[in-house]
Amino acid sequence: MFFRILRKSLSRQKGKVLISMIAIIMGASIPSAMLNVSLDINEKIGAEFRKFGANLLVVPKSDTIEIGIGDISLSSVKDQQYINESDIYKIKTINWSKNVFGYAPFLYQVVSAKAKTNGEEQQVVLTGTWFEKNISLEEGEIFTTGVRKINSWWWNVEGEWIEDIETISDTIYCMIGKSVAEKLSLNLGDEIEVTYRETVQETTKNLTVVGIITSGGSEDNHIFVPLLVAQSLTNRENRVHTVQVSALCIGCPIETIADEIETKISYIEAKTILQMTNAEMNVLEKIQMMLALITIIALLATILGVSTTLTTSVLERRTEIGLMKSIGAEDRKIGALFFAESSIIGLLGGFFGFLIGIVGAQFVGILVFDSLVTPQVIVLPIVLGISLLVSLLASLVPVKRAMGIEPMIVLRGL
Amino acid sequence: MMVTGYIQTHNLSRVYDGQTWALNNVNLTIEEGDWVSIIGPSGSGKTTLLNMIGCLDKPTEGSVVINGITVNTLNQRQLTQFRREQIGLIFQQHYLIPYLTALENVLIAMYYHSSVNEKKAIEVLAKVGIEHQRQLNNKPSKLSGGEQQRVCIARALINEPKILVADEPTGNLDQKNGQVVMDLIHNLYEVGHTILLVTHNMDIAKQGNQILQIVDGKVWSSN
Repeated sequence: MFFRILRKSLSRQKGKVLISMIAIIMGASIPSAMLNVSLDINEKIGAEFRKFGANLLVVPKSDTIEIGIGDISLSSVKDQQYINESDIYKIKTINWSKNVFGYAPFLYQVVSAKAKTNGEEQQVVLTGTWFEKNISLEEGEIFTTGVRKINSWWWNVEGEWIEDIETISDTIYCMIGKSVAEKLSLNLGDEIEVTYRETVQETTKNLTVVGIITSGGSEDNHIFVPLLVAQSLTNRENRVHTVQVSALCIGCPIETIADEIETKISYIEAKTILQMTNAEMNVLEKIQMMLALITIIALLATILGVSTTLTTSVLERRTEIGLMKSIGAEDRKIGALFFAESSIIGLLGGFFGFLIGIVGAQFVGILVFDSLVTPQVIVLPIVLGISLLVSLLASLVPVKRAMGIEPMIVLRGL
Repeated sequence: MMVTGYIQTHNLSRVYDGQTWALNNVNLTIEEGDWVSIIGPSGSGKTTLLNMIGCLDKPTEGSVVINGITVNTLNQRQLTQFRREQIGLIFQQHYLIPYLTALENVLIAMYYHSSVNEKKAIEVLAKVGIEHQRQLNNKPSKLSGGEQQRVCIARALINEPKILVADEPTGNLDQKNGQVVMDLIHNLYEVGHTILLVTHNMDIAKQGNQILQIVDGKVWSSN
């Protein structure tokens, strides 16, 4: 009987139900859009931040070679300690692996570089790395990583990026820093002869310049080759000096990712670049606070709107409520009827608000990030919960009024 | 016959806004199975007296005792429970829930009382002359005034109350429909219901076995 009364009561006051529902839809669409954007924003902003480079540096324990990211010197290698290239994949097996955006190994060696076109010769740092390498993860997923992924934004490349190689062929491509290009008067397409000397042994390889890098940092002084080439030239197969990791952690501190990597690869240290990481976190927290504030204001406005509509409805239904009470309805049954009506309005409004919020999120995504926002299913129960809470809060005053109506108004004929 | 005083009021007064005495020191004794007609000019306190005995309102002073229970000492919840079990209300304006059918308007009283029994509701409606499917499934707006009042009477009877409180039940009806309603009330009196009926119509008042005349909140005469 309760549901029969509920259904008929709702269908009778379609206009007011519609007005309340529109208010809830408008209110719910804001948190829906904000939550969809907010949950997707981590990836989106993370990807934006990741263009600025790595924020974790993995080095072997006890090494003291001068190494760093950009101009930030983090450590130096004194004795020749290495990380096994075959261990690097473990970085993507930590619990927070989804927050690992990308990583790239580096093997450094000072070599003699001679431009074939003009005979200029300089001592430069030859760096072997992954450029854009596809790695098979344990669950069969292909993960693309490398220096191109983590540094693409702040490395201004003239020419082309080079690709990773499986075997060394006669023609080896390289990318060179802007300073190297200037010192050796090199242009795209020119050839360099690099020589590595170790005691009495000497190894030489010819490289073809396909890209010139301008980073504004130490990379301008390096020659970049595929890791395999650097390992072959310096006889250090399966060895790298450092690994730069680009990670973003909103739900956990960056130190947790560092600790997990250290646990997975026991002989390394993972150092965080706190300055950049903290800045990222601060920006994200501020954006999320702003979104939360807008949402709260929108929901308060919704509560006010719905409450006013429901109060009007209660006033119009005074006789009906008085009649129900006069024939034996207890206050709790009157309250239950109004709360149930509000709950239905809240849940339906919440559902449509969720759908409209998804559309709104796309506008925000295109305007701010120039890309669509992926709808998050988890947002639906959250928005329904918020809408239900909002509609119930909005009902408190009207329900209290309804319960305060005296049954005798029926006999008084008021 | 032993006088038991099924309904008693002692020094019953009701003051509105601290200054308007709607009822002033009313003492009554009504026996079980009595039909008491209450008459008096508008604003004399008739409806206020029905509110007190119908457990819709509480007195400012004095007490109302029904079947040995001092109802004005009951809390709101107990009063609601007492009302739905003991009292059937019939209103002048035959109030019905506008979005429910005739049958549902009777069922809702059962729902608030205990459990819904559609078969019993149809039987009670048939007793008051609402028996066609069309009438049962019509909303109040599709029923005539007489039909609406009969639905009200069925709703008042559905939980088998001992007392029927009727506030000018024929006030909004034409003579023919008024007669039908009065016949129904008479039948209820015949089967032993205690009836309190407010009316302006002396012919109707005379159908009861006791007439109370109220003037300015006081019982002017009783016979």
